[in-house]
Amino acid sequence: MAVKGIKSNDRHILNLANIVGDARSIIYHKEDLIAYDCDGFTLHKHLPKAVVFPKNTEEVAALVKYCAEHQLPFLARGAGTGLSGGAIPLNGEVIISLMRMKKLLSVDFENRRAVVQPGFVNLKLTNSISDKGYYYAPDPSSQYCCTIGGNVAENAGGAHCLKYGVTTNHILGLEVVLPNGDIVEIGANGIPDEPGYDLLGLLTGSEGTLGIVTKITVRILKNPEAKKTVLAYFDNVEDGSQAVSDIISAGIVPAALEMMDKTAIEGVEAAAFPVGHPKDIEAVLLIEVDGIADGLDEQINQILGVCRKRNVREVRAAKDEAERGRWWANRKTGFGAMGAISPDYLVQDGVIPRSRLPEVLSRINKISEESGLRIANIFHAGDGNLHPLVLFDARIPGQSEKALEAGSACLQVCADVGGTITGEHGVGIEKREEMRFVFTDEEIIAQTDIRSVFNPDNLLNAGKLFPMPGRCVEIKKEIKERSS
Amino acid sequence: MMSIKEADLMKDPACSTGLSNYLLKDHPDESKWADCVHCGMCLESCPTYEITGMEQHSPRGRVHLIKSVAEGKLTVNEQFMDPVFACLDCRACTTACPADVEVGGLIEEARGQIRQAMPLTGLKGAVSKVFLQGLFPHQNRLNGLGSLLKFYQKSGMQKVVRKTKLINIMPQHLVDMEAIMPEVKEPVRKKYKDVNVIKAKGESKREVSFLTGCVMDVMFSDINEATINVLTRNGNDVTIPKNQTCCGALHVHAGDRETGRKLAKQNIEAFMDSDKIIVNAAGCGCALKEYPELFREDPEWHEKAEEFAAKIEDISKHLYDTGYDIPKAELKTRITYHDACHLAHGQGIRQEPRDLLINIPGVEMVQMPNSDRCCGSAGIYNITNPEMASAVLDNKMQNVPEDVEMISMGNPGCMLQMAMGVQKNGRNQKIVHTVQLLDWAYQKEDGKGER
Repeated sequence: MAVKGIKSNDRHILNLANIVGDARSIIYHKEDLIAYDCDGFTLHKHLPKAVVFPKNTEEVAALVKYCAEHQLPFLARGAGTGLSGGAIPLNGEVIISLMRMKKLLSVDFENRRAVVQPGFVNLKLTNSISDKGYYYAPDPSSQYCCTIGGNVAENAGGAHCLKYGVTTNHILGLEVVLPNGDIVEIGANGIPDEPGYDLLGLLTGSEGTLGIVTKITVRILKNPEAKKTVLAYFDNVEDGSQAVSDIISAGIVPAALEMMDKTAIEGVEAAAFPVGHPKDIEAVLLIEVDGIADGLDEQINQILGVCRKRNVREVRAAKDEAERGRWWANRKTGFGAMGAISPDYLVQDGVIPRSRLPEVLSRINKISEESGLRIANIFHAGDGNLHPLVLFDARIPGQSEKALEAGSACLQVCADVGGTITGEHGVGIEKREEMRFVFTDEEIIAQTDIRSVFNPDNLLNAGKLFPMPGRCVEIKKEIKERSS
Repeated sequence: MMSIKEADLMKDPACSTGLSNYLLKDHPDESKWADCVHCGMCLESCPTYEITGMEQHSPRGRVHLIKSVAEGKLTVNEQFMDPVFACLDCRACTTACPADVEVGGLIEEARGQIRQAMPLTGLKGAVSKVFLQGLFPHQNRLNGLGSLLKFYQKSGMQKVVRKTKLINIMPQHLVDMEAIMPEVKEPVRKKYKDVNVIKAKGESKREVSFLTGCVMDVMFSDINEATINVLTRNGNDVTIPKNQTCCGALHVHAGDRETGRKLAKQNIEAFMDSDKIIVNAAGCGCALKEYPELFREDPEWHEKAEEFAAKIEDISKHLYDTGYDIPKAELKTRITYHDACHLAHGQGIRQEPRDLLINIPGVEMVQMPNSDRCCGSAGIYNITNPEMASAVLDNKMQNVPEDVEMISMGNPGCMLQMAMGVQKNGRNQKIVHTVQLLDWAYQKEDGKGER
């Protein structure tokens, strides 16, 4: 039985259309597909074979089963805002878009949990429960548009994850379609720490390589009684980053502790949400504390005391919720704001021990000088999660390559000082090779072996997360031969 | 309809790669898409993405497509046309965009390329021709038709309109308006044909010119009358320059940039002697402010257009900025406010009209969630893309509070569309223009409003 309105001779297109039921739930013309040739990471572009829009778990399972039976590579995609290329169809995949599974299924205030479909947008959860005094804590900067399904795939972080933890700390249960089309539930009762292996932990952050999440039970939190937000301006980056390190080592845990350097400030002030940061400062810290109202002033005073010791030039406290909102909009749209000062950017995502901040920032500065490309820094200073934004112009031959090299060099610095290559954006395509900075070949093989348990044919989101197979396969073969 | 002439073909490619498939003049501007870093912050702002979940129907996707043609990866064809013309041109994405990418401008430029390369045929062509060439630029024809209702009948569009139930609601809608507003029978341009300056009541503080709009003056002449009333009441002498014409917004939205330019030139000349031009239709105001966009390749007219654009002011902002009498009479009504896209996103005017309304004694304002979400009117989009427009309207109506008497707004297209939404959903709200409520309060204060 053919679906009306499909103009294709490709039997796979016809069969996939049959599964989703109508011509409006599949796209396969080049002109439509081109919008799916990349995600928030734009340096690799590949056209998918088709994009299908299932309405429910059963359709997802049927699509997956079809792809598995016919050996068609496939992957899942939410809003496509990922920054490491996790949703790019490197192998001409069939993209299973989850944007029509975007409902808030239920909220259980008594037990503080909510059940959402994967296409439900992160911020919408908080907006839907805020009138009852609750919120969903993980707040990636893209929370206005990114989906919770995507957050699970990437184990997304955010500004307030310093105090509240990243996505994995808020996931209580998942319904997953496995790469063979089976539907399984993990943590079905929404009870944390079920006995047995921590499969929720394994799946969260698996970057869409182990299964497709179709239902998510998340933890929701009661709003803190009060919040206080301040901006601290510094005349040099060294002082600013020392202040960050001092605040944490003084035992204070702010809800958020964000930093932007001079180039980043230039970007956000030139863009759509400027707040009037002084033009001549070298670094700004955005500090927020929350909790029981009574202790907050004392915490802020303690933080300001630390800042003064580090020669802070000026401190501003948010007058009201509106001003606080403007400051956060300015910070959270920071990546996109780079468009105002550069045609392209590449954002890195290294993590370092906080005490090494000043040293690492100066080494990044050096990378910028050597590459001739400007690098802006907008980052979650509190948890040492750096986001160097390499600014470049892809239209100038050679600049893309240079930007990739500079980005990789930044990650090498992070690895060198005892940190790692990603905090919240995932490895995707972008940092595949850099996995070698932090893992040995054996360690990588151990991980691809885990993948094989779930995804034996590697049809689901192949070519992501781990270095390209070439070397690995050879080593694996050798190890096998040796052990037999 | 235009054809591709040799002279129109570009000498220079549309993009520095030299591979561009935009072959005609006035092509999408590379500097506009160069700001887009593909971050996706625009996605949730887009009504068509909300409905379809498809990225080619999102701002980021559309910019990517437009760029792909310039890079030679796609050609200007049917498949490219679909996402570009499915855009409501509501500009919500420009509010959301961290890098200020002018998606609206890009879309309009791309539509210009499509319409030149692929002139419309069939029903869509006929609709577009009747509206855009046959009607809006000709004030006398509009006046002759007397009302949009009659026009619908005469132009053979009745069937389409019956389907959308517009006919059922129009008389009721007008009756409702008449119940609360002074009766006005003729367009203000006709009424004040022989008046050079409509003098301020009391002390004259300044002189402003009034762009009456084409549809506005025929369908909603009472709103134009109300506009003149609130202006003269607040110290403004009002002139209505005679040679003014349709602003061309609908033409530009539809890709007919050539007619858009013709109309723009006529308006620029008609208002040459004005210092300030007052507009009460958000769509017109936004288009007038964007005249310079139409003359990117014509330095002489570009400069004139820049001067002209600087004089444009929405009525609500003008009153708010120059000061106005707060009415003393009490209206006792619960209302909500809908942000017309081309007021909120297009011109950044959000607080001013709300202030005018809540300062009227007795007016209680109920906040409409997502008040700046498009209603689906979008020029003649509701006629060219009825299905999508209707889905957008359904989403909009879900946000209209139940317990209000009126929905106020600042754009005639929205007024018709929202009236349709009210009707379709069995609701009973009255649709009013912001200045109508203000004028009503003044009338009541002067003892004229009670009938």
